[in-house]
Amino acid sequence: MPTISVQRDDLEALIAGPNGTPVRISLDQLEQSLMLVKGELKGHNAETGELRIELQDSNRPDLWCCEGIARQIRIKQQGASISYPFFKKQKRAAGKLVVAPGLDRIRPYVAACTAVGYRVTASGLTQLIQTQEKLADIFGRKRRTVSIGLYRLAPIVFPVSYDLVKPDEVRFTPLGMETVMTLREILMVHPKGVEYGGILSAHDRLPVLRDAKGQVLSFPPIINSREIGEVQVGDHELFVEVTGTDLQMVALTLNIFAANLADRGAVITPVEIQSPVKTAFGRRWHTPVDFGSPRSIPLKAIETALGEALGGREVTAALQSYGYTVKAAGQKVAVQLPAYRNDLLHTVDVVEDVAISQGYARFAPVMPSQFTVGGLSPLEHMADRIRHLMVGMEFQEIMSNIMGSHQDFCTKMRVDGTEWAKVVEVDNVMSLSYSCLRQWITPSLLQVEANSSRAFYPHRMFEVGEVAVLDVNADIGSRTVTKLGAVIAHAGAHFSEIHSCLDLLLYYLDRPFTLEPVPHPSFLEGRAGAIVAGGRVIGLLGELHPEVLEQWQISVPAVSLELELDRLLDEG
Amino acid sequence: MSEERQTPPLFMDNLHPLESKVLLALAQPQSAPPTLDQLTSSTGLEPSQLSMAVEWLLAKSLIAVHAETVAHIASLTPTGEAFFDQSAPIERVLSAAREAGQTGKRLTIQDIQSQEQLEPSDVSKAVGTLKKEGAILIVQGGCIESTGRNSPTAEAMRTVLQELRSGQRDLETFAEPLRSVLQQHAVKRGNAREPFRVDERVTRSFVLTDGGRNVAERLSRDGVAEEVSQLTPELLKEGAWRTKRFRKYTISLRAPRIAAGKRHPYREFLDLVKLKLVSMGFQEMRGTLVETEFWNMDALFMPQFHPARDIHDVYFVKNPTHARDIAEPYLRNVTQVHEEGAGAGSTGWGYRFDVERAKRLVLRSQGTAVSARRLAANPSVPGKYFSIARCFRYDQVDATHATDFFQVEGIVLGADINFRTLLGLLNLFAREVAQAKEVKFLPAYFPFTEPSVEMHVRHPKLGWMELGGAGLFRPEVTTPLGVSVPVIAWGLGLDRMAMVALGIHDIRDLFSADLEFIRTMRGSF
Repeated sequence: MPTISVQRDDLEALIAGPNGTPVRISLDQLEQSLMLVKGELKGHNAETGELRIELQDSNRPDLWCCEGIARQIRIKQQGASISYPFFKKQKRAAGKLVVAPGLDRIRPYVAACTAVGYRVTASGLTQLIQTQEKLADIFGRKRRTVSIGLYRLAPIVFPVSYDLVKPDEVRFTPLGMETVMTLREILMVHPKGVEYGGILSAHDRLPVLRDAKGQVLSFPPIINSREIGEVQVGDHELFVEVTGTDLQMVALTLNIFAANLADRGAVITPVEIQSPVKTAFGRRWHTPVDFGSPRSIPLKAIETALGEALGGREVTAALQSYGYTVKAAGQKVAVQLPAYRNDLLHTVDVVEDVAISQGYARFAPVMPSQFTVGGLSPLEHMADRIRHLMVGMEFQEIMSNIMGSHQDFCTKMRVDGTEWAKVVEVDNVMSLSYSCLRQWITPSLLQVEANSSRAFYPHRMFEVGEVAVLDVNADIGSRTVTKLGAVIAHAGAHFSEIHSCLDLLLYYLDRPFTLEPVPHPSFLEGRAGAIVAGGRVIGLLGELHPEVLEQWQISVPAVSLELELDRLLDEG
Repeated sequence: MSEERQTPPLFMDNLHPLESKVLLALAQPQSAPPTLDQLTSSTGLEPSQLSMAVEWLLAKSLIAVHAETVAHIASLTPTGEAFFDQSAPIERVLSAAREAGQTGKRLTIQDIQSQEQLEPSDVSKAVGTLKKEGAILIVQGGCIESTGRNSPTAEAMRTVLQELRSGQRDLETFAEPLRSVLQQHAVKRGNAREPFRVDERVTRSFVLTDGGRNVAERLSRDGVAEEVSQLTPELLKEGAWRTKRFRKYTISLRAPRIAAGKRHPYREFLDLVKLKLVSMGFQEMRGTLVETEFWNMDALFMPQFHPARDIHDVYFVKNPTHARDIAEPYLRNVTQVHEEGAGAGSTGWGYRFDVERAKRLVLRSQGTAVSARRLAANPSVPGKYFSIARCFRYDQVDATHATDFFQVEGIVLGADINFRTLLGLLNLFAREVAQAKEVKFLPAYFPFTEPSVEMHVRHPKLGWMELGGAGLFRPEVTTPLGVSVPVIAWGLGLDRMAMVALGIHDIRDLFSADLEFIRTMRGSF
């Protein structure tokens, strides 16, 4: 989740609030306070006063900014939520924003407001842009579901219209360019058009925001107009708009921006949205809008989940000092989130906020008291027995990556095109060296051998590990199998050496077996055997083919053994 | 008295037969202290054995170096051998000049070079010497003419080549001017193309020390007892060992290296973790490397639009791309809980759940997938489970990111499970797994737990570090899977602890392919 950069004095000023006096906060105090927002201090530059803070909670986009962090801390300090008048229903609107028909198939929703009275400072502008980017990028899934535009209010004449136009019908000068361009040209040439154009690629009509005089505000979600859509230091009248594909996410994003600007001293005035189709908010509504509703929760549910009889008073105080509106009524509490949050899915979300508000240290750890029996799976138990026996036969245990290349698992083993080359492959390959899952262990051990010609001989190595084997009968198309692989390599390595190991191993495991010749391309013909027990093939052993050794650039003879533990277990 | 009586027997017990031979040879009356060569003939030892014995005796101060003389030995280099066969460049230049004089041909330095196929440096050096000695003249046009006079250098060179051809000789045995010609044309640093070389040879002569004389006297008086180095079955069978003396070994020498059969140190570490978990009452559970998005993410209430489900975070499987089926009633239940929270007392995520997406196959990206499967398979209540599961992340491989790695994860089910018992369990982990006495709990975020906790412990070497994350599974996870009691989900991040225990700094070294490294790596845990 996002890491943001904030200025320490800006944070302190916002914590103090518009009427308070900023107080210096030590880094220790800050780290303590950041627990309220699931934030971690990642860095601090004493010279510039820059703090780098990582925010964990992907359901709390209101916290991905300096204002949001400060707000949560301020509420805790004052013990009560902050009242924002613009979230209450009001008659007055700064103007209308009219949505044209047809947008419901492309980018249906819009929310907007004006913010007057906050004179934008350099660091304030940096914060506005950072919030705009983080919200659009992460919460808005790279502008797909939500994107945000900020404008100078003065030149805009209401009503603003959210229209659908042909790509060549409208022209304006986009931010970052000197000349007038059509929407089609912007998509083709402008860096933002190239980056985000994919969002609109399926459509032959494109969204555009224009005012009553026909001036273009922006081409959402791509780029703002350079004339109106470039907020500068010193501006004190702003217009904010959010467009997107999810009504609640669009509304929430505007609510966050409205609260942030209000925290910086702006007066927020709603804009009336007029929709051609009925939405969950109706056909006409004002934004910002508080679309949350109170939820009644049994006190007992909170207390049981926390394991602590907190009582109604403490629960109420905890939630109020975390920003909730709370009404206690007998054995229940009616709670409502502030309008800049929309992450109450379940009672447990309230439970956690109670715990965070009170601090986790408020809750004394208690040992779970119920008795349970521990133990290993039969497969792990078998794996451990085999590992101990292999160690006793003087093998060094190896651990390898399960992901690797077709080249290593198949080509170098001479099994391409055979039944032994069926491997699980990855679709979104990042690097050819990691493009499939191993289907046997021997290549992992040969990788070690190829790297270790300078380690003194003999080399005796084994690994017990998981592999993936394609299987059309399996629901997921493959089985995960635990295998033993063993390799002996030295100037005199030969079949009977590894055969003796197998013989002894299966003697101790009490699994009678026979060897049947098998024509396996990885091994010398006539020197490879399938290990058969209980009428089933449970493994393979043999002298590795010189061509295999050449492919791996191994310069000593080597013999190997593979044994399927799952089948060994079935036989037992 | 007592000192003298103690010293010799101490050494005598430790004397190697070779050493005895050398001591006795040196004790013989002789005209002058013998050199190594002379000792070779008087002891009859191989040169290598002799020099070994001499070094041992010198170390024990039983013998001392009497005198050290340095001789200069001259010999032919391979270049010298070639000069002998084809004549030296100076001779060839001279005869070419004379031949040209007879035929009246004009001869330049270049001509000689190509005609005789000589190195330019050899030719210019030869011409310089010959001109100085008056054997040739350089006339107009850079041509060379013979004066008919002899060149002392050329003659000396031929003599030295002949003499050394039959074997190396002491430089002192050459008279002037042969000696200076030889020295001038001996190999010096940076010039290997010379016909001769002169090596220093140090000749040392040896005498017994007082201590050595004592030992030698005792040796000649008592005789050299028959010593054996190895006790054999024959010696035991016949009882013959009773008449033998066993040579004492120098046991302070470094032992020869062997390779043991042994567990991998990282596996040893994980075995210990496994043991701890089992001893705390946890049952092991296992899963598959390939998993559906359903069990990897949907069942964990991660919405299908969640950022961590992106193509840039998870590996998707190519063959096949989708599972055939997702077991009911889980598919139905999970669909409902995502869409409207039904049954779990939740609002749900409020979007259209895509069943095809749920069937998409991925490489397991989190061990929690194993826990989800376990919850759906009629788990014990109360119950504790763990898995050490290989997981895969779509990351660029570097010192801190591996393409596949182990996650230690698990669940605890029970009617008495709540936030405080969750903290109690984490305290137990901190104590048992990390041997930590100090623990801190921080609020955290995981998509599938609420409340969520991050546990930090004070590690003896690393200081405060994150040991793991945990929380109570959301009812949106447990209810659709048929579990009605609270469930703790926990995960431990042990790789950093393992790396400290194994003394490595690069996460890729946990799965190293270097046998020497694996053989020598050892853990402290």
